[in-house]
Amino acid sequence: MSEVKLVNIKKVYPVIERNKNKKNVNGHRTGNLQITDQGVVAVQEFSLDIADKEFIVLVGPSGCGKSTTLRMVAGLEEITSGELYIDGEYMNDVAPKDRDIAMVFQNYALYPHMTVYQNMAYSLKIQKASREEIDRKVREAAEILDITDYLDRKPKELSGGQRQRVAIGRAIVRHPKALLMDEPLSNLDAKLRNQMRAEIIKLRERINTTFIYVTHDQTEAMTLGDRIVVMKDGYIQQIATPQEVFDHPSNLFVAGFIGTPQMNFFDAELKLRDGDYWVDVEGASVRLADEKQERLKANHVEEQAVTLGVRPEHLLLADKGIAGRVTVSELMGSSRHLHLTVDGKDVIIIVPSTGGTGNYIGSDVALGFDGSNAHVFSKATEKNLEY
Amino acid sequence: MTIANSSRSRKAKVQLFILRVLAYLFIGILVAMCLFFFIMLLLMSSKSNSQLQGAFSLKWGGHFLENLHNAWNDASTNIPRGMVNSFIVAMSSALITTYFSALTAYGIHVYEFRFKRAIFTFIMAIMMIPSQVSAVGFIQLAYKFGLTNKLWLLILPGMAAPVVFFYMKQYLESVLPLEMVEAARIDGSSEFRIFNEVVLPIMKPAVAVQMIFSFVSSWNNYFMPSLLLTKPEKRTVPIMIAMLRSADYSKFDMGKVFMFILLAILPVMLVYAVLSKSIIKGVTSGSVKG
Repeated sequence: MSEVKLVNIKKVYPVIERNKNKKNVNGHRTGNLQITDQGVVAVQEFSLDIADKEFIVLVGPSGCGKSTTLRMVAGLEEITSGELYIDGEYMNDVAPKDRDIAMVFQNYALYPHMTVYQNMAYSLKIQKASREEIDRKVREAAEILDITDYLDRKPKELSGGQRQRVAIGRAIVRHPKALLMDEPLSNLDAKLRNQMRAEIIKLRERINTTFIYVTHDQTEAMTLGDRIVVMKDGYIQQIATPQEVFDHPSNLFVAGFIGTPQMNFFDAELKLRDGDYWVDVEGASVRLADEKQERLKANHVEEQAVTLGVRPEHLLLADKGIAGRVTVSELMGSSRHLHLTVDGKDVIIIVPSTGGTGNYIGSDVALGFDGSNAHVFSKATEKNLEY
Repeated sequence: MTIANSSRSRKAKVQLFILRVLAYLFIGILVAMCLFFFIMLLLMSSKSNSQLQGAFSLKWGGHFLENLHNAWNDASTNIPRGMVNSFIVAMSSALITTYFSALTAYGIHVYEFRFKRAIFTFIMAIMMIPSQVSAVGFIQLAYKFGLTNKLWLLILPGMAAPVVFFYMKQYLESVLPLEMVEAARIDGSSEFRIFNEVVLPIMKPAVAVQMIFSFVSSWNNYFMPSLLLTKPEKRTVPIMIAMLRSADYSKFDMGKVFMFILLAILPVMLVYAVLSKSIIKGVTSGSVKG
């Protein structure tokens, strides 16, 4: 059992007078973060219950507070206010070494003067485990990660991917209650990253512990997490399964952040006709799907001007609908990305590649979409009206 | 075309040859200038007193072992005792200086605490005070507490060495990512253990080079020992050498004197000869990340 519970966690970095005008405070960008009398608020109102053996991914742009949150769980940052429980025990003031967690860092942070074996054995040595136990556990972990052949090498003799495996090995060797990963794949090249991502999925099946994983890469978030926590400017934007986040983004930010290419946004009107919700956009009118109808009705949403969001893969070329002109056509292999100008705005749609030259550029097209794929956001609050 | 090319390349080769000859000549002169004094010392220490009183010659004197025997067993200047004393002081202060400077540098580099910058500036400011100035108070204190003729009094003040501290701090900044310290913390290591088992091994090149420098400067130190050590059995080598100057040259065996000097510089020469590689490595390693 290893549940992690965060209750209303807040982190404030005190601002030293001299640094107030600088962009960085303790290495964290202060771009849109709230600055109070106490300092820069990096994380606030962070509450989350992580179940035993759950894989949680914290995702968001740089400076959103995801790494700070992870470091607070690890005990590397002080918690300004709020409560942290691991396995029901209050952990706010417990030293990192007594929390029984392990962490994998972005830059591996391996001990350069020790061999791979010694790196992995270090934590067990500190726990005064017997030599046989250390040997057994290190070899077991090395076996899982397929690094048995490198046990006698020093980190500098390994490639980036191998080093990251060693870093993971060092973390799993003592069977921690929770395994924290801080952008572990960011330093790897694209191909290796894909490979390691698959390895982490496999690893999870084998070691079966609670994972908290920080990334700014939405693909990693979508593929790895049981649940995703999307963050921005220190606040949680949405906590949900990857599918839920994709299908029902809670606000404009989440809608724009998750999914590539980004979701298209239109100015539209939400109308009630015969008790049903319709969106009117650029001359087209679409009835929302039944599921959305129910959600909107439950919230007693009134007629209003809204921001309509439709993902590029859900916009279809139609006979009539939203009018636009194709400006750029990108062949991606199995599909084609068309960039259109609709009423002065850029819109991207994905169409199947036909195999031909597909000379779309300059042509006028009409776009349609299905009512089940339309997301309506309040103009005032930017929140999804379904919530 | 080809003839012109070959004559041009021959000209370039000749130019390169001349440049090389000049370069080697220049280096040769520098080496000769450096070695001259050592060779002279070696020659002089091989001569008997009468040979030294006579005309100057560059011949090997043939009394080297005799001089060594006399110098080693001299009753008034107990050179073996002096070398042991010097070694104790130099080795201990080298160890203490490097260890505690590294520890201070680590503390300043890794931890965030109030007045950190002020403390750093204060340490740097101490660098500007010449040791002679603080020596006055220190000597007075030592005499009042009756602490003269204690070797540890020469060793302990080495703990506070701002220059070594500064070197260590610069080195740490270039080689130690803070994540490594954090990783060790999560691995369960105590703060002190992190320093000893993770940080110190990473700093090995810097520690080596500073150990050599502090060993040599402590071995050669005359100023403080001469003020604090009065008993003959506590004297270090530089004091013994200095005392030779007051000896009567007409009666004194000059061959023995040169042998004393040779013995005095021997450990330093050994240290440089054996560890020169790590000195070069240490001096350059802090500058380039890699």
